[in-house]
Amino acid sequence: MLIKHRLATATLGAALLVIGCVSSDRILSVEDPDIINPADVASAAGANAVRIGAFARLNVATTGTTSGSDEGLFLLGGMLADEWINGDSFIDRQAVDQRVIQPSNSFLTTADRAINRARLSAMQATVLLKQFSPSAPGWEAAEMYFVEAFAENLMAEDYCNGLVFSSVIDGREQYGSPISDQTAFTIALAHVDSGLPLITGNTTDDLRVEYALQVLRGRILLNMGQSHYAEAATSVAAVPTSFKYQLLESLTTASNVIWSLNNSNRRYSVSSAEGTNGVNFAAAIDPRLPVCQGGDATCKLNGVSQASRDDLGKPFTVQLIWPTAASPVTIISGIEARMIEAEAQQAAGDPASAVATLNAARTTVTGLAPLTDPGTPGAEIDQIFRERAFWFFSTGHRLGDLRRLIRQYQRSADSVFPTGSWHKGGNYGGDVNIPVPQAELNNPNVPAALCTDRNA
Amino acid sequence: MNTRRPLLVFVVGVLCGTMPSVAASGQTPQQASITGRVTDAPTGQPLANAQITVVGTNIGAQTNSDGQYTIRITTAGNYEVRALRVGYGEQRRSVTVVAGQTSTQNFQMAPVPVSLNPVVTTATGQQRRAEVGNDIAQVSASEVVGTGTVSSAADLLTSRAPGVTVFEGTQTGAGVRVRIRGTSSLSLSNNPIYVIDGVRVEGTTGSSSVSVGGTTPARINDINPEEIESIEVVKGPSASTLYGTDAANGVIVITTKRGVAGKPQWSYSTQQTAITDHNHYPTAYWGWRTGTTSATTSSPSNTVQCFLSQVAAGTCVQDSVTSYNLTKDPQSTPFGIGYRQQHALQVKGGSEMIRYFIHGEWEDEDGSTKVPEFDQRFMSSHGLALSSIQKSPNHLGRETARANLDVSLSPDADLSLSAGYIQQDLRLPESDDSGVLGIATNIYGGPGFKYNLNANGDTLYGWRAATPRDIYQIETDQNIQRFIGSSRANWRPRDWLALRSTFGLDFIGRRDTQLCRFANCPDVGTTRLGYKIDNRTNFFDYTLDAAATATKQINEAFGSRTTLGVQFTRTIFDRNGTEGDQLPPGAVTVTGAAVKLADEATDETRTLGSFIEQQVSFRDRLFVTGAIRSDRNSAFGADFKTVFYPKLSASWIVSQERFFPHFGWLDEFRLRGAYGASGVQPGTIDAVPYYAATRTLGEAGEVPGVVFSALGNTNLKPERSTEFEAGFDAAFWHNRVNTQITFYNKISRDALVSRVLPPSLGTGTTSRFENLGEVKNSGWEAAINTVLLQSANLGWDVTFNGSTNQNKLVSLGGVPNIILSSTLQDREGYPLNGWWSRPLLGFQDKNGNGIIQYNADPNLSEIVVGDTSVYLGNPIPIYEVALVNGFDFWQRRFRLQAMVDYKGDYKTYNNSERIRCLSRFNCSGLINPGSSEFEQARTVAGREHPSRTVAGFIEDGDFIRFRELSLTFNAPERWASRYLRGRSLAVTGAVRNLGVLWTKYTGVDPEAYGTTGDAPSSFQAFAPPRYATLRLNLGF
Repeated sequence: MLIKHRLATATLGAALLVIGCVSSDRILSVEDPDIINPADVASAAGANAVRIGAFARLNVATTGTTSGSDEGLFLLGGMLADEWINGDSFIDRQAVDQRVIQPSNSFLTTADRAINRARLSAMQATVLLKQFSPSAPGWEAAEMYFVEAFAENLMAEDYCNGLVFSSVIDGREQYGSPISDQTAFTIALAHVDSGLPLITGNTTDDLRVEYALQVLRGRILLNMGQSHYAEAATSVAAVPTSFKYQLLESLTTASNVIWSLNNSNRRYSVSSAEGTNGVNFAAAIDPRLPVCQGGDATCKLNGVSQASRDDLGKPFTVQLIWPTAASPVTIISGIEARMIEAEAQQAAGDPASAVATLNAARTTVTGLAPLTDPGTPGAEIDQIFRERAFWFFSTGHRLGDLRRLIRQYQRSADSVFPTGSWHKGGNYGGDVNIPVPQAELNNPNVPAALCTDRNA
Repeated sequence: MNTRRPLLVFVVGVLCGTMPSVAASGQTPQQASITGRVTDAPTGQPLANAQITVVGTNIGAQTNSDGQYTIRITTAGNYEVRALRVGYGEQRRSVTVVAGQTSTQNFQMAPVPVSLNPVVTTATGQQRRAEVGNDIAQVSASEVVGTGTVSSAADLLTSRAPGVTVFEGTQTGAGVRVRIRGTSSLSLSNNPIYVIDGVRVEGTTGSSSVSVGGTTPARINDINPEEIESIEVVKGPSASTLYGTDAANGVIVITTKRGVAGKPQWSYSTQQTAITDHNHYPTAYWGWRTGTTSATTSSPSNTVQCFLSQVAAGTCVQDSVTSYNLTKDPQSTPFGIGYRQQHALQVKGGSEMIRYFIHGEWEDEDGSTKVPEFDQRFMSSHGLALSSIQKSPNHLGRETARANLDVSLSPDADLSLSAGYIQQDLRLPESDDSGVLGIATNIYGGPGFKYNLNANGDTLYGWRAATPRDIYQIETDQNIQRFIGSSRANWRPRDWLALRSTFGLDFIGRRDTQLCRFANCPDVGTTRLGYKIDNRTNFFDYTLDAAATATKQINEAFGSRTTLGVQFTRTIFDRNGTEGDQLPPGAVTVTGAAVKLADEATDETRTLGSFIEQQVSFRDRLFVTGAIRSDRNSAFGADFKTVFYPKLSASWIVSQERFFPHFGWLDEFRLRGAYGASGVQPGTIDAVPYYAATRTLGEAGEVPGVVFSALGNTNLKPERSTEFEAGFDAAFWHNRVNTQITFYNKISRDALVSRVLPPSLGTGTTSRFENLGEVKNSGWEAAINTVLLQSANLGWDVTFNGSTNQNKLVSLGGVPNIILSSTLQDREGYPLNGWWSRPLLGFQDKNGNGIIQYNADPNLSEIVVGDTSVYLGNPIPIYEVALVNGFDFWQRRFRLQAMVDYKGDYKTYNNSERIRCLSRFNCSGLINPGSSEFEQARTVAGREHPSRTVAGFIEDGDFIRFRELSLTFNAPERWASRYLRGRSLAVTGAVRNLGVLWTKYTGVDPEAYGTTGDAPSSFQAFAPPRYATLRLNLGF
């Protein structure tokens, strides 16, 4: 009896002892191997890894996809403009094509996150490179300024006034406030100007980054208005026509999103004279934009055997600039430098030089006949913008160009954007830009209206 | 005697969950005992499984198959002994125990027409129902299984417990979602937790790493219903407090069958089931036109049509309108007769020392989807034979085994061992929202004629773009190897003290594979290049729990019961995944692929909790219980350490009070009330900021990189739910009517809001958990069991279950409204996951042309759409009712039972019709001049109005379903003995899902949806099939 009493008492004591273990942190300590802690990037190697991460972010924001279905601003902007028509059943994609975008649009929200991720990664890499890798080649940090400025400029080209640049510094969120597109161009220009002086060498990498920054500088200045055209031309003068700044794609990193959503998944189709005003991209038979019709012999040779889009509609026009999932995409080039120069020449009242510049670029492609001066300023502008449309098809230029036609050349929206009957029923709306996404309302500095205005 | 050794052994036993017999080897001299026999009063037959307890102590016993029991007792004196058994009224007897002698106390128990199980399982062990202040719903699984109407654990719960909403899958192997008392969490799981024989087990929904659309398995359906004795539903925090963090959504406590002392009782059962799909899938339409060119003229190989709106606008003329429903055509329908069979053999028995239950089962289910006749002809004409996968594209094979052992180590100690093993192979076809690949997608999306052509010129027989012969070539398989084991040790060193410990493990090895062989599968994207996905995941759920309970009858009036316990749970998710793309001919492994991808993921959560519970009883009719539990968890933020959950409940059998008026028609009246708190924990890494690895392709090849991912939240703490419930239990008219009525009010504070991060921040994660919100659920629950007729030859009993649930998002803590999708929003003052859209306010055929048209001029437009989004309705039913009628006749040899249930006051998104009208262009409202104005109006609003609103497709989901019907024949025992040499024989014919009796919903079925999400929508999903079963039970 006594034994049992003691035993019970001791057992209760043992149980209490176990309960006492509740305070032990060790039992609850869990390491998650799936994450990388902030301390792990606080080194030269860490800074370099974040730099590489910025390229991965830029890729997904523009030309690549890791899911096979999430597109960035290159495709969505092109669909809002006249490069692409919708070929699937998603309402949010259709709304972009029809120019009736709601701020809750899920595809645009995803695209907005992607481009801001590229911007943030570049910002963080710049800071880390300066802090932990001061002896790294200057072009590395300069290229991060390029990525940041490229993202900022692209957003300003596509978004309404009221866009926001926020950031994360030392792990803490820093909410930005709405700014105008013009302010965003100024910020982008400042970042380009921060990057250019860092390039002090003459290596292939130095030149690659320097040319990229120079063309981007010209592009930003072009966006800022005619008063900056001359400076834009000066900025790009040293860039050789053959220069290409490419993003590389692969099946194991990010595959070419244009190929994925057009050639493979058939959710996009190359447009042709969309909504009356659109460029006849598909019908033009322009060697800069080779196309085929789904299921025809050319398409089958390129692996596209289906004759209709995902929505089973036709036409299903397939681009062949990027015929595979691993086709690299040029996002900045010497050709763009020439186009900037041509536009500046035309604006300066020298259309002959402008046409000569356009023709010099055309000589780089077999099968393009020389152009002639159409004779009137309006037609000359049409000619330059048509050239740009084919040179830069689906590389994030077209929406910005259509807005420039409204903003800088006083065209009406109804004369440059697709209008009239939309190809899936109903009519085109009046959107000329992408609204700030509804999710941005979680930023305490952003008003309920989101966009300051929806002007071009 | 060395006292240290038993102590050490017990401590080890506590920690390891085992109790060597030596622990209780100390013999107490002069030990006495109480023994006796329990019988059915009218017949004198022995009653097994009666619970005999000594009031005011922790000691008791269960009767064996001969109704015998023996209770050892260490202290002489006068005791009161209580006998409890389901189906009988409680009995108490006084016994005088003399040291060294055996006292005998027999019980002759009187049956009552209606009785609930008098014992329920709580976190601190088994308790009398009368002592518990909460309503705990019980399902007697062994009885329900015998009706032949269930084939999964989820079927056991459907419409059988008030407050429990079950969303069942619609294909063989499809999962299930269970919600108890509504949805409480904005952003975390609303799944209850599952406990089997005291061990926490995996119950996740959406348990697959490869997609076939919207259909996914749920792990609770791994559990074989034939092994389950009972299911108890602990509904909310007021009852689940002691289950700790994660129990706020309720606890489903499953008790498996156990042995009964006596000679071996073998039983064999088999079910043979036909599975058919009798649903009416929508008819497709096509508006034919003749234009000036081939591009403007309809043909079987293009998509040129003339819609009603175009007719009205004068842009085309409908030559004709055709319609076709491929599911009604024997040549094209994919629906055949599925077949399910199962064979189970079990034995139970044992002695007073060792009791056992052993069960083994083989089951095989072949779903109702097949390769249509036209596809078979096509294959035959091309010299192709149906592969095994094409013959059985939706298939479940499962083998289960269970061995439960109860060992009496000594009069004071016993050990229960439970081991269950499951081997399961599931094959799911691409279905639901699988784009071009889905079976249902191609059914819903086909044209309104039969001879449409694919790119090769082959006839598709009304299928949209791909047909089953190709779709079924996508081989999606899931293999499950699962072991659920537990050991539970009980030791009663003193009459007043009971110690217990449980250790258990739920291990799941899951292998998900998806294979498209080279040149197989539909021609979509790169599928015909071939690919293989092979993901292998291990799940470990450990439970270690120990508790001590001290029970004392303080004096004649007051009793005390104190329980002290600790619990540690650890869950591990450990996955390695790999994918190989571009396979050579014949290759079926990742190894053979040209492009290989690999990934791994790990997730671990640990919770350490302790609790103390004190119950005070007064004259065995008033019970007040107070408790508190503290938890620490590995997922809490660095600035948050410990959470405390209190509990207080009371149960008062007020009808036993002297002041209570005694009515002839009222047998018992019990008031009960409870308040408690519980929580739901965040994810393992939700609290910490971190980067993530990535890689990109540079000039020199692929290079690794790092990107910023999550901001983290160092203040993160568990979501905390508090609940108050009150109600009464009453028995009327000599226990012919038994009623339980409960009101509950549950408030989730510090609700974890997955706060959307502004995109401009550029973070990898799109949201961050913050403790901001407040969600309220309140409602009523009623369970009424009645016996309306009771005679030797005829019986009629009725069971009614009803519940209401009002759900409201009280606060978002200053966060803007959460836009979940184009139709779902979380807004303050409205239910979670509410349906929102710009409303279709009206429509009128103003010009009388029979076609509803949109015009930008409001004076000409024939539809009116609201300017802003408005709340359209609740995503889950507010009202649920189930009515079961049972009839016994012909000396009660036959029993006919039917269940009808109702779900009401909620909306279902008819997303299938939405995509047919707005994207597939084959719905009646778009094409058919005979369609209703409403059908046309909602189509026009979605297609042509600038809002593109889909409000017209969010419909009333209310329905009444004839859920179950069964007829059981219990053969006379002499038949079983004479013809089969058996002990018993029962034959049952049953049908599950006889159809929808009434609904306002215009889609195929209001329960035709996938198995994920808290706002189910019918999106190109199959509707529930019908199961017709013949079951045979043979005991020997």
